[in-house]
Amino acid sequence: MSDITQFRVLDFDCPTCASTVERALSNVDGVQHVKVHYATGRVEIEYDDSVADPDAFAQTIENQGYTPQPA
Amino acid sequence: MTKQSITQYYQKHRKAIVTATSGLLYGSGWSLGYLTSFEMASAAILVLATVVGGYDIAKTAYHEVTNRTLGIKTLVTLAAIGAIVIGEYWEAAAVVFLFSLGSYLEGRTMRKTRTALQELLEMTPDTATVRRDGTLQEVSARDVEEGEVVVVKPGGKIPVDGTVVDGESAVNQAPVTGESAPVHKADSDEVYAGTVNQEGALEIRTTGAGSDTTLERIIRRVEEAQEAQSPTESLIDRFAKYYTPAVIALAIGAYAVTQNAILSLTLLVIGCPGALVIGPPVSIVSAIGNAARSGVLMKGGEHLERAGKIDLVAFDKTGTLTKGETTVSDIEGFGVAAADVLSLAATAEKKSEHHLADAIVDMARERQTAATDGGATVAQADDTDVGRRSVPDPDDFDVVAGKGVIAHADGQEVVVGNRALLDDRDVDVPDRVADYVREREGRGETVVHVVRDGDIIGAIAMRDELREAAPGVVAALQDAGIETVMLTGDNDRTAAAVAEEVGIDEYRAELLPEDKQSVIEGYQADGHVVAMVGDGINDAPSLATADVGIAMGAAGTDTAIETADMALMADDLERIPYAVKLSKATRWNVLENVGIAVLTVTVLLAGVLTSYVTLASGMLVHEASVLLVILNGMRLLRY
Repeated sequence: MSDITQFRVLDFDCPTCASTVERALSNVDGVQHVKVHYATGRVEIEYDDSVADPDAFAQTIENQGYTPQPA
Repeated sequence: MTKQSITQYYQKHRKAIVTATSGLLYGSGWSLGYLTSFEMASAAILVLATVVGGYDIAKTAYHEVTNRTLGIKTLVTLAAIGAIVIGEYWEAAAVVFLFSLGSYLEGRTMRKTRTALQELLEMTPDTATVRRDGTLQEVSARDVEEGEVVVVKPGGKIPVDGTVVDGESAVNQAPVTGESAPVHKADSDEVYAGTVNQEGALEIRTTGAGSDTTLERIIRRVEEAQEAQSPTESLIDRFAKYYTPAVIALAIGAYAVTQNAILSLTLLVIGCPGALVIGPPVSIVSAIGNAARSGVLMKGGEHLERAGKIDLVAFDKTGTLTKGETTVSDIEGFGVAAADVLSLAATAEKKSEHHLADAIVDMARERQTAATDGGATVAQADDTDVGRRSVPDPDDFDVVAGKGVIAHADGQEVVVGNRALLDDRDVDVPDRVADYVREREGRGETVVHVVRDGDIIGAIAMRDELREAAPGVVAALQDAGIETVMLTGDNDRTAAAVAEEVGIDEYRAELLPEDKQSVIEGYQADGHVVAMVGDGINDAPSLATADVGIAMGAAGTDTAIETADMALMADDLERIPYAVKLSKATRWNVLENVGIAVLTVTVLLAGVLTSYVTLASGMLVHEASVLLVILNGMRLLRY
């Protein structure tokens, strides 16, 4: 089943940073759709909950050098 | 401090600590090299400064490359490595330090913009006092069920959307509607989560809690609006896609021609479209956030940019410039008692939903109740029922749009309507009637004729008071160089009287609903950028036709928000000059930011090609320009 989760990243410092995180998240297993908004820092992830591990999302964002917060 | 709290502190302030360390190392490395002859030591410290400051940047750069995006961090990493390779340690450390400092400050300021809306959400209390199982219980506000009764003490914040079932109070609704004056709330009035109960205790039956409240819905919409790209933003994004690779090609080309590594590295750094891509979104997010806090919902950057070009504002008259509370001011019978004119008209109009019909029916109920109950207290208890019964139903009834109604009752044909309807039906209008109508209309009132079996038996004059703020709002728009127009279905004389009272530039009278649309199209054809202000429901088509549709009193009505480009949460006309001026300021702000960005890159490019600008000074100016556009955009948060 498909599920949606959100994060908020307040420390994006450039629009490219947001699109890099978007790409990285879309490469995580089971992720169907990702939208990262630079302007508001909102991250929306639609994923297949039988495949994806939601904990991996926050980890991926951290790996890119940003701080995810629950939205 | 325990080890754990040190780690936590470090994690929280990592960017600041890294930047400061890199800065200190850079400073000492530079002074060592400048003041002494320990060049090896100086170089070592500068390399260390580069590594400390550059580690995180390089890590992100690595991710950029593996995700096949090309960002400034990749370019900065390339520049720093390149500078070290050719032995320019000072340049390498300077670039890394200045970039970290810049992005730390950018991140911090952007955080302010991003959290501007969160403050609104924090207005909602976390817990609610609910009447459950006969006792009062303190529960999480998210767990309150629809239909449950919540008790809010004086001074307390209202945790849910709902209807007042007991108590009376003044509620400050600023977080939702932007109105600073408290609103009186009593039985069966609607209240919103996040608003403040200022005076008495209220008991509220919940209609929405948790994420299903008006405030939460507004904030979700505002965020969507902030995220929607404006035409300028998408133009710049498309441009940036080609721009960055072009800069890299230019840098490589420059190296091939000049063999000057520093020159091409500098090109890489200053060529980043930083200020250009950051500027417009910051302006727009700040403006939309500011508007939201003042009770104006802007649908997105596109709408905002269009609103910045408005040069004509058209107002619907009824309910927009006026209070929309039409009351009967005079009844005249022509050979028939005024009371009979009223009751006949009320019967004919009973099934109509027009606001004039409501005024007539309400008046008839009031009069008849007063007449029948004769002051008896028994009837008082249920006077609305008596009132309702006292206006009989018509046998049949037809609405003639924009003109009136035709009904049958007790074997009589009753027509209630304007002159146009009478002319359609060849009803003769005696001078006496025409004089009465002219006199009343000259005062800004609306008059309907009451016709029984082809003869005029009376006329009813109705008045809809102007909103107190209307003349000031029109004047404020005129001061801002904007033309103002009033659109109304009323006849010319009434419209002229009202137009004069408000001080509006122009009026268009006797318009059917679809005429309003063509009037707006006419202004557009004349080259005007037109905003239309209306209630968002009856005026939905003209709001949609206008370049910018502005709906009033939209809190709670989703239809109005759907059709409009801008929605005023409260029925507060005074927000209109504010919204129009904010849009204009935003448009300028976006242009300023684009100007700053283009100017910076041009100057830097010229500087690099003439060797005036080095890697470090180029980075300094580049980061300064990014900060400048962010700070400029954030001015709109305080507009």
